[in-house]
Amino acid sequence: MSTPISLKDAERKVFQSTFADGLWDVFIGCSFPLQLTIGPFLSHSMGDFWSSAVFLPFWGAVYLVIWGIRKKVVRPRIGRVEFGAARKTRLKKFSLALLVVNVIAFILGIVAALGFGRLPTAGPPIVMGLTLLIGFSAAAYFLDFPRLYVYGLLGGLAPLVGEWLYQNMGASHHGFPIVFGTLAGVMILTGLVTFIRFLQNNPLPAGDM
Amino acid sequence: MSASQPTPDLHPLADIDQVIHASARLMVLTYLYVVESADYVFLTRMTGLTWGNLSTHMTRLEEAGYIEMLKEFRGKKPHTKIQLTEQGRAAFREYKKSMQQVLDDLPD
Repeated sequence: MSTPISLKDAERKVFQSTFADGLWDVFIGCSFPLQLTIGPFLSHSMGDFWSSAVFLPFWGAVYLVIWGIRKKVVRPRIGRVEFGAARKTRLKKFSLALLVVNVIAFILGIVAALGFGRLPTAGPPIVMGLTLLIGFSAAAYFLDFPRLYVYGLLGGLAPLVGEWLYQNMGASHHGFPIVFGTLAGVMILTGLVTFIRFLQNNPLPAGDM
Repeated sequence: MSASQPTPDLHPLADIDQVIHASARLMVLTYLYVVESADYVFLTRMTGLTWGNLSTHMTRLEEAGYIEMLKEFRGKKPHTKIQLTEQGRAAFREYKKSMQQVLDDLPD
């Protein structure tokens, strides 16, 4: 045998195969990056609340489409698997870590909103960038999904680059449409390419399943 | 000592579970050991075995009492879920222990 048997690697390989279809990339790309790209333009006419709330049915629709694709296209190709106790514990830890990150981000968001005029200009973009970087990195670590580190880095830089574009190049809406539009594009495109490759590499199995 | 009997030093290797030791079945059991359950499609994809080949090995493992096949319906479609039995899990652990013991003692 050329390589030693590693049960941990085997389990990781199995778990990573559940992200091999690229659909999570598409879903994440359609979520907050797309909202932060289009939302600022809508806020003039709809207000801040409705310009955000209007995305909820859109996300629901995207989720339903992805759920349908996963059921009809992906599952017949990769089959079904239920993970063991160790992975379930890891997922619970991830949920907890994500909750902590979100609570901290929420508190920092309130602080920023209350003292917006008094905070240094770079404050809110740094907080937002760090939240995205830490959130995505935690997800990448707990989910064994390395691409999320790259998304975390891009997401972490996005508010800072956006602010720079706003200050120096006159970009509208703190540069959000440009930077988060790019991020959404990168995620959705990566997801679609991964999905096409997945379909090519995993034809429908022959035989009665 | 007769020629057919193993020497005491090699006992763990001679005593190795031949049901598990076949490479295809070892692959299947490795994947089933690290998950709770899986189906045929998943196992054919992960192991690279053909449908017929996998089916043969599954029958052998089921006869040994190492796996169980749970028939269920998902919507209107029948679906077979495969999981290790407690006996299978214990046998795999024992196999791993025996192999480790023998291989760790080998000189480089």
